[in-house]
Amino acid sequence: MAFLELTNIRKQFGQAVAVEDFNLKVDRGEFVSFLGPSGCGKTTTLRMIAGFEIPTVGRVAVDNVDITDKAPNQRNVGMVFQSYALFPNMTVAQNIGFGLRIRRESESAIKERVDEMLALIHLEQKGPSYPSQLSGGQQQRVALARALAIRPQVLLLDEPLSALDAKIRVSLRAEIRAIQRKLGITAIYVTHDQEEALSISDRIVVMSQGHMEQVGTPFEIYNFPQTAFVASFVGTLNTTTAEVVDSARGVLQIDGARLETAEKLDGRQKGDKVTIAIRPERFSFASEQKKANVVDCRIENITFLGSIVRIQVSIGSGKYYMDTFNNPFLELPKIGDKDQVTCSREAVLVLKS
Amino acid sequence: MAQATQNQIRANSSQRSLVIRNLVAWAGVVPFLVFVILFLFWPASSLITGSFQNQSGAFTLQNIIDLFTPSIMNAYMLSIQISIVTAIGGGIFGFMLAYAVIQGGLPRWVRTALTTFSGVASNFAGVPLAFAFIATLGHTGFLTALFADKLGIDIYNLGFNLYNFWGLALTYMYFQFPLMVLIMAPALDGLREEWREASENLGASSYQYWRYVALPILWPSLLGSTILLFGNAFGAYATAYALTRTLNVVTVLIGDQISGNVLFNPNLGYALAFGMIVIMAVSIGLYTWLQRRTARWLQ
Repeated sequence: MAFLELTNIRKQFGQAVAVEDFNLKVDRGEFVSFLGPSGCGKTTTLRMIAGFEIPTVGRVAVDNVDITDKAPNQRNVGMVFQSYALFPNMTVAQNIGFGLRIRRESESAIKERVDEMLALIHLEQKGPSYPSQLSGGQQQRVALARALAIRPQVLLLDEPLSALDAKIRVSLRAEIRAIQRKLGITAIYVTHDQEEALSISDRIVVMSQGHMEQVGTPFEIYNFPQTAFVASFVGTLNTTTAEVVDSARGVLQIDGARLETAEKLDGRQKGDKVTIAIRPERFSFASEQKKANVVDCRIENITFLGSIVRIQVSIGSGKYYMDTFNNPFLELPKIGDKDQVTCSREAVLVLKS
Repeated sequence: MAQATQNQIRANSSQRSLVIRNLVAWAGVVPFLVFVILFLFWPASSLITGSFQNQSGAFTLQNIIDLFTPSIMNAYMLSIQISIVTAIGGGIFGFMLAYAVIQGGLPRWVRTALTTFSGVASNFAGVPLAFAFIATLGHTGFLTALFADKLGIDIYNLGFNLYNFWGLALTYMYFQFPLMVLIMAPALDGLREEWREASENLGASSYQYWRYVALPILWPSLLGSTILLFGNAFGAYATAYALTRTLNVVTVLIGDQISGNVLFNPNLGYALAFGMIVIMAVSIGLYTWLQRRTARWLQ
C-alpha cells in the first residue's frame, strides 16, 4: 500500500490547465523528485499536497487518509520553501520550535526537540541568532529543521537549493538526503535541476506542460528516456530522425549510415520514420574489431570540459556529440580529421512519438 | 626604483580622485545642510533661548513656570488627548483600509484609487479642511440638512457636535487615516506570502499567524507611523483654529501668544513650543525604547 497517493489529479486556473492526469504512488520513506522546466506544474502539484491549492479533480491521500479537502494547517505535512520563509522576527530556535508551540507542547519538550533539530543540521550554536545573521545555506538548513521539528508524515521541498551558490547546493543536497534517510521520512522534492534530481532521488517524475512524462529511477530516466522531452531535458542527448530499414532486426538508417538498435520496432514498417536518441558518452571511436554500428564521421569541434572532452562529429549532414573521458596520455583527433565512431545496439534508443 | 615612483604617483593620483569625489558628494548635501541650519536649528535654538527670556531679553524661568498653570496644562492635555485619539483611530482605520486593498485581494484599481486619494487627503488640512467639514457637517451643513430634510434626523439633537472634542477628532481623522494608508501600504507589501504559508504549514491558524508573525513584523512600522500620526495631530494649528475657538489646543495658544493682541507674550509662546518639543522628544524616545525591546531582530 502506497504511503502518499495522488489519484487522477487535475488542477485548472481559469481556462489554463496546470496539472492533468497526474497519478503517483509514493512508498513510505521514499524520496521522489518532480523534475521539469518552469511552468510544468511541479510546484502546483507539490502545493496540492501541502494544501495551498485544492485539486480541481482528484484525490490526495496520506497513509490511506484522504486529505484532499483538509486545510494546510490540518495536514501533518512539512514544507521547505525556495526562499526559506523563515520568520525574521524569531530566532533560529523560535523558528524551529514554532510548530511545536502552535501544537501547545510543553516548553521542555519544545527545547528538547529544538536542540535535537539543531544538532541534526549542525547548527547547535545558532539557536539565539536571527535569520538575517545566517548565510543562505544555514537559513535553508534551519528551514529544513523547522519543517522536520513537527514530525511531519511527508516532507515537501520546493526548489530548496535554487537560491544558493553551486558549491553549497551540492553539499546541502547531500545533507538533505542523509537527513531524509536517517529519519526515514517520505519526501517530495521539486527541482528544475536534472543533476540535482538524479543525484538525490529514489525516483524521479519528469513533468512537462502539466503532464507526467516519465516516472522512474534516476538510472532509468537517464539511460532509458521514453519520450523526446525526457531525452532532451535530462542530460545531453543526440536525437535525430531515422528511417526503419528492417523492423524485425532493428535496423535503421540515419544520414546514409546504418545503425542497429536493440529495441523492438514492433508495428513499424520499412520506410517509417522514428526518433532515436544516443547519449554522447555511448559513442566511442571505432576499433578495428568492431563490426556493427560503425559509421564514418568528421571531427567538427573539440571542447574541453574538465573530466570529459566533448567532441562534435558530423555524420552525413547531422551533427552529434561524443563524450570521452579526459586522458592526458591519449592523443585527441584534430578538427577536420576523418574517423569512425561506434555505439552499441543498446545505446540506440527509440523514443515514443 | 622607477616602479616604486610609479606606484607612488598612482597612489597619490587615486587619493586625489577620492578627495574630489568626497568633495562633490558633500557639495550635493550643502543645500540641505544650509536649509536645515536656517530653518530648523536656527529657529529652534532661538525658540529655546526665547523660552528662557522675558520680553526685554533678560534670563527668566517664569515662562517655563507659567507652562504649569491650569489653563496651559489643560491645553497640553487636550492636544495630547486629541493626538492620541486620532493617531490610534486613524491608525487602526488606515491600517485596515491598507490591509483590505493590499492583502485583501481587491482589484488593483482600488489600490491605485485609494493611494491617490490618500496622497491628496493626507495633505488636505487647515482652513480649507475646517471649512469643508463645516459646510458638510456644521449646524447648517449639507449632510446635516440632508439628514434633517430627508430622514427627519437632527444629528445635533442626537448628540453629534462638530465643534467639540469629537468633532475636531473627526476632522483630524480626515488627514490622519490617509497618512496611515500611505505609510502602511509598503509595509504590508513587504509581508511575504511564504510567511503565511509557512505558518499554516506548521499548523498555525490565521489568528496565530497575525499574533506571532505578521503583527510582530509590522510592529516597527505600526509604532513609527502611530508616532508620526501623533506628531501630525499634535502640530496641527489652522484646522483647530478655524473649526472651533472653544477648544484651546497648544498650537492655538502659541498663536495667541505670538500674534494675539490681548495675550501677546511671544516668550511664553516660545516656551509653549519648547514644551511641545519636549513632549515629542519623549514620545520619540518612548518609541525608540519600545522598538528596541520588541524588534531586536531589526538590529
